[in-house]
Amino acid sequence: MTVATKPRPYKYVGTRPVRHDGLEKVTGKARFAADLNMTAQLHGAFVRSPHAHARIISIDTSKAEAMPGVKAVVTGADFPNLDIKHPEFDTAVNIMARDEALYNGHAVAAVAALSAKQAKAAAAAVEVHYEALPAVLTIEEALADDAPIANFKNRTLFTKDTEPSNLASINQFDRGDIAAGFAQADIIVEREFTTTAVHQGYIEPHACVADCGQDGKVTIWASSQGHFAVRSKTADSLGWSTDRIKVIPAEIGGGFGGKTTIYLEPVAALLSQKAARPVKLVMTREEVLRATGPAPATKIHAKLGATTDGTLTTLASTMYFDNGSTKGYSALTGAMSVASYKLPNLELHAIGTVTNTPRSAAYRAPSAPQAAFAVETLIDEIAQHLNLDPIELRLKNAVVEGDLTAMGVPHPKIGFVETLEAIKNSDHYNSPIPKGAGRGVATGFWFNIGEQSSATVNLNEDGTAAVITGSPDIGGSRASMALMAAEELGLAVDRITPIVADTESVGFTDITEGSRATFATGMAVVNACRELISELQQRAATIRGVDIEQVEWVDGTAQIEGQDPLSIAEITALAKKTGGPLTATASLNAAGAGPSFAVHVADVAVDEETGVAKILRYTAAQDAGTAIHPSYVEGQIQGGSVQGIGWALNEEYIYDSNGEMENASFLDYRMPVASDLPMIDPIIVEVPNPSHPYGVRGVGETGIVPPIPTLANAIADACGVRMTALPMSPPRLLAALNQRNGN
Amino acid sequence: MAVVHLQADHRRFTNGQNVITVEGNTVGALIDELEHRYPGLGHLLTDGASVAINGELIPNGIFERVEASTEVHFIAPIAGG
Repeated sequence: MTVATKPRPYKYVGTRPVRHDGLEKVTGKARFAADLNMTAQLHGAFVRSPHAHARIISIDTSKAEAMPGVKAVVTGADFPNLDIKHPEFDTAVNIMARDEALYNGHAVAAVAALSAKQAKAAAAAVEVHYEALPAVLTIEEALADDAPIANFKNRTLFTKDTEPSNLASINQFDRGDIAAGFAQADIIVEREFTTTAVHQGYIEPHACVADCGQDGKVTIWASSQGHFAVRSKTADSLGWSTDRIKVIPAEIGGGFGGKTTIYLEPVAALLSQKAARPVKLVMTREEVLRATGPAPATKIHAKLGATTDGTLTTLASTMYFDNGSTKGYSALTGAMSVASYKLPNLELHAIGTVTNTPRSAAYRAPSAPQAAFAVETLIDEIAQHLNLDPIELRLKNAVVEGDLTAMGVPHPKIGFVETLEAIKNSDHYNSPIPKGAGRGVATGFWFNIGEQSSATVNLNEDGTAAVITGSPDIGGSRASMALMAAEELGLAVDRITPIVADTESVGFTDITEGSRATFATGMAVVNACRELISELQQRAATIRGVDIEQVEWVDGTAQIEGQDPLSIAEITALAKKTGGPLTATASLNAAGAGPSFAVHVADVAVDEETGVAKILRYTAAQDAGTAIHPSYVEGQIQGGSVQGIGWALNEEYIYDSNGEMENASFLDYRMPVASDLPMIDPIIVEVPNPSHPYGVRGVGETGIVPPIPTLANAIADACGVRMTALPMSPPRLLAALNQRNGN
Repeated sequence: MAVVHLQADHRRFTNGQNVITVEGNTVGALIDELEHRYPGLGHLLTDGASVAINGELIPNGIFERVEASTEVHFIAPIAGG
């Protein structure tokens, strides 16, 4: 279902063609990084720290190197030591430990051998002498007065600290007068919320193949959200110049933020250089869970005040986000995501911690779901106490254009009110709540970003086209690029081939993150198409012997008054006689990203004997700006919802007292499967972003923000229990029910 | 003079001021002037901070031109997943 503010005037944008990469993917022909096999290829294996925190005294690789089939071994000593202020210092150290193992699973050495079995055996023969150090595993432990240092190289962001500490970052946002705001409030609710680390859960483990030539140049096939970033991070980690590295993007089997950083590529490149053979590295699922970045665990204290008419007066919150083994921006981002309500008085303290757990990584609207859990739960409680409809209360306080974010920046044109109204008017919200169930509502916000993108559009001799970009297709960008090019050129979308090109075949393009690809790379495609149309008009003028001013471009044809129109195919057929091939390239650093809002509603039944929360119905509305390919937008809304549902109800990292993850498999790390879920009914709201030629906002991330509070609010409505700790799994919910019953 | 809005984290450099009028034709020139007035602040504004100019987020906007009464917000870096 789509709710648009006005009819779309487009022929191709907004249609639902079959995806260009669909056939290859459903037939298994698409090539992912782990599918690649090269002549004389070696297989790699890692040696990983069994300690959550340890000093590495020595590493003896001699036995491993003497084993059958072993061709190369690398340790931290083979990598350059970057300056501690280098922006990729933490990435480099996370890829391969130097003198300090920072978490259980941290790579300390790697081996390449003729077979995976030989590599694994040799890795087990590497002798590492550790001095175990006290480990810090939780936010509370990190903040304790007598806490041991978790990472001796950590320096707190946004401070001038020169000594190590367990603080990753410290930030504050405020406006108004907190004391006066709470004094003005008729009702104040206050709670503390905790969440555990959760993984992005992409199906495809990290994988790459590296082939280093005798000239010292390496070609890397990698699964990532940005192959230019793979190139630059690999170059930085190895101290190599960028021109030594070519990265060819493999298909990606899910990333969700987790593949915005790298773990394997510099190791594969070094092993390949040492062995003078291609080297393939593929993580196991256990390695993915033990050694790649989860979303951070959190502890959030929040206090919200309102007047009896439902006007929110004040929010005060202290947010602790555990960044894992190195510093990072997770706490800052969490606080910044508080942007949905007018809130004249606001004070947010954002504190990141460092612990001996895997370095956290981005996960779909990073840190916003945890912050929304706190804020949206308190709003629900206020609505409940004041006996107000939860959507009406939110509409009363919803930000509109010109209202301020937590950062103090005014919102541009946004569609929060329209998205709230879409749920308010939905069949779901206007249907009776099933007997014995509860209904919950919550909202989510995400910034979305622009950044750098490039595109080249080539017209072929027969009038078909290739659209070449550097954005890996993680969520349908091939189709959206082709649709925008089709709209611009007036060319049927099936006559356009969208291509994701390697780092030497297209201009620099930033990572696909922040829901930016359709927005920013799409703008580059549109700009290239418009340049190409100018050239097509010039060629048509040459063919017909008229001035270019007499040529109009209408619906894919050059039109000259009194003459038959010229099609693209007719112009390209004569290209070699009118100036040569028709091609155009555009690059930009895109500004004007359009923020996105989502509103979800769920009906949940709680089994009071087992503590199982069963979702009976789920509807999710989101402002897409303009849905270029509505099926993909619906898929993003559904995918974000499902990941949020898993985060809410089941997923969690469980560590033993030594910092070893106890559930490092998909058997024990419980993600939702189809049988756990109802249909997620998506509603696309379209409030166009005026900064994009087609009104695009990013759509990939916002959908994960509302599910946690939506389900928490539904559970509270169903059984009267306010859940403030994640996951709301059967044991935890059962314990809360027992506490409610006085058991 | 451009109107510069700072975050709470920056106030320790500016004697508590959030909003400051600053002379300069580009974002970079504003940062230079702020560093001159409040030593140490410029480093925080150049290291990873993004800007919003009249409400529009501009990534890496150090060379963006500003005019009299332009509203400039220095904000922390925003990425995503």
